[in-house]
Amino acid sequence: MGANLNVAVIVKLEPDFSEGNVSYNADGTLNRAETKSILGPHSAIASSAAFYAKVRYDARIMVGTMGPPIADSALAQAQLLCDADELHLYSDRIFAGADTLATAEVLKTGVLKAEGGKMDIVFSGHRASDGETGQTGPQTAWKLGFTFLGNVIDYDVDIENRVVRAKRLISLQAFYDVIEEVEAPLPVFIAIDPSYKASFNTVSQRLTFDKYREEAKTRSQNYKQYLKVFNAQQLGVDPKLVGLPGSPTIVYKVEKIPKAKASRKAEVVDGSSREQLRKVAAKMYEVLGGIVIK
Amino acid sequence: MSGSDKYQHVYVVIEHEDGKLVPVSLEMLGEARRLMDGFNKKYSADERVVAVVLGHDVRKLCEELIFYGADAVIYADSPVLRYTRNLVDTKVISKIAASKELASKFASDASIFVKPRYMFFAADSIGRHLSSTVLAELESGLASDINKLVIEDLVIKHEHKTKGQPMMYEKTLEMYRPDFSGFLWTTILCLDNRNPAIAREYHPQACSIIPGVFTPIERDETRRGAIVDYAPTFDECELKVKILDRKIVKSAVDFDSHKVVVSFGRGIKDAPEQNIKLVAELAKQLEAEVGVSLPISKKPFPISEGISSTYMIPDRVIGTSGRKVAPLLYVAVGISGAMQHIAGMKESGFVVVVNPDDESPIKDECDIFIKGRMEDVIPLLLEELRKQKPAIEVRK
Repeated sequence: MGANLNVAVIVKLEPDFSEGNVSYNADGTLNRAETKSILGPHSAIASSAAFYAKVRYDARIMVGTMGPPIADSALAQAQLLCDADELHLYSDRIFAGADTLATAEVLKTGVLKAEGGKMDIVFSGHRASDGETGQTGPQTAWKLGFTFLGNVIDYDVDIENRVVRAKRLISLQAFYDVIEEVEAPLPVFIAIDPSYKASFNTVSQRLTFDKYREEAKTRSQNYKQYLKVFNAQQLGVDPKLVGLPGSPTIVYKVEKIPKAKASRKAEVVDGSSREQLRKVAAKMYEVLGGIVIK
Repeated sequence: MSGSDKYQHVYVVIEHEDGKLVPVSLEMLGEARRLMDGFNKKYSADERVVAVVLGHDVRKLCEELIFYGADAVIYADSPVLRYTRNLVDTKVISKIAASKELASKFASDASIFVKPRYMFFAADSIGRHLSSTVLAELESGLASDINKLVIEDLVIKHEHKTKGQPMMYEKTLEMYRPDFSGFLWTTILCLDNRNPAIAREYHPQACSIIPGVFTPIERDETRRGAIVDYAPTFDECELKVKILDRKIVKSAVDFDSHKVVVSFGRGIKDAPEQNIKLVAELAKQLEAEVGVSLPISKKPFPISEGISSTYMIPDRVIGTSGRKVAPLLYVAVGISGAMQHIAGMKESGFVVVVNPDDESPIKDECDIFIKGRMEDVIPLLLEELRKQKPAIEVRK
């Protein structure tokens, strides 16, 4: 019997920016060799959003990632969060160095490999913590021909009518934020907003939640049983459209951002001197008080 | 030179909220104007700055866009386009970008026009996604979150692009993006594949631009330009996303109505929980809103959920990835001063910094630099502020 809903999550293995795991060079740049890698925080939120579909709609879940063989650890971490039924790793030397468009080509092809190409919802995170472009999700959606819904903070699926209702959070520079409620027929691609939080309101939902949570723990410990690895040939991608050859953009150079000219002349104060801090406090009030009088 | 190339002009995708221009739109136009003035002079060319605007009742915006630097405006007006929807907007913008007919309405010779040479979008919640899907549709390259642009003739030698041979790429857009640390600049180029094995042309060269970085040109009512009406037709399937409701919400974080902003950064690391509480106390004493540096929004420290979800959030980020603030008094605690943070606070009235390292870049951006660890400095400073407060209020 097929599932009511087929769901995919695309995730990324990223540097772990948490203190103790992240390492910076003396010049403030990331020391990649010394920094550990984990499932990216936004990928984790996307996985939780997929888990909601599992609990609410008994969705079947595939988690996919493009990366080197060690990226399977990101899949295992995602499986723990969403109780995935399948884990797909798209891994091939020729994928290396891909920009967002060439990455999207691999991910699109990968998503269509699962469930005989009958995918209903694909989730991605808001953006990666290292690349930070936020482009890969929408570009994958476009290549899939799925309706793209970005900044989604809440969603539900009307299984019978095959439509998604979602709330999106849009920030408008110099105006305000807008919460927009939209409706779109399946299939859709959802980029989950960082503020997304699933809520399970009924007792039966919580019981289902607990059941799948337990299952996820067991599965994740044995994640290799659920893992399929695809190289370029197995995926059937056109080598001209992936990796460096398929990337319109290149990184031309990386440089230190030059220090701007000093814009202020600081008075240096000894932080252990009560006398000097007394003057600082007075100055702070003066700065504020002066305006109040005006 | 004019009209001699398949790829011409810069198209700037304008954003507005129900007919009111979002500031980044004018900032992009300003930068496009400066770039193309230089371009036309250098190459004896006549390529245009073209504003592209979609919406309902947007005809009235067109003159304004010309006053702010556009040579031409292509507008698509329809009730269907009132609020931005990724799918239909992507289709309309892509059709506009690939239309020779529309280009011929503002340029004398558009006979060989295929697509724009360059394309700019805003790096915000709308433009970030729109740029991605439009460039996926146009099958070209896109760089995100740009804060510097240069047009250059570059000799490129690349394993794939040029098969290892040095080749001249004229009129190449160097797109600079600051990385997450704020200390590195990466230059992205979008280049045709000239290697015969993978030959392919990639135009437009496109990017999304960080709001608040570039300056609009001065509004000039004497500027004139072509206004081109594009009447889009829609497929039913392009309209399948329905907007059911739209609610305006105010962020819980409010920098604008506070005279003081107190921000903290990774310098809290020795005792994150206690130090955030100290910063919050200082903010309370100064009736300040609390800001953070970008790394903090990535929640690098394990702390209690309440404090984490109150303070370590993207809404509080000050800098090019967050908000630009200009309070009377800005207090930066444990922030080293990456360029992208400085850009968000440099217009503050008076700046006080607490930092143990007097080599850190923020020293050049403050009026008083208190050298010391926040654990030691803030309690003393708080004491002094509390002692003096009654006197200050009496004096008022």
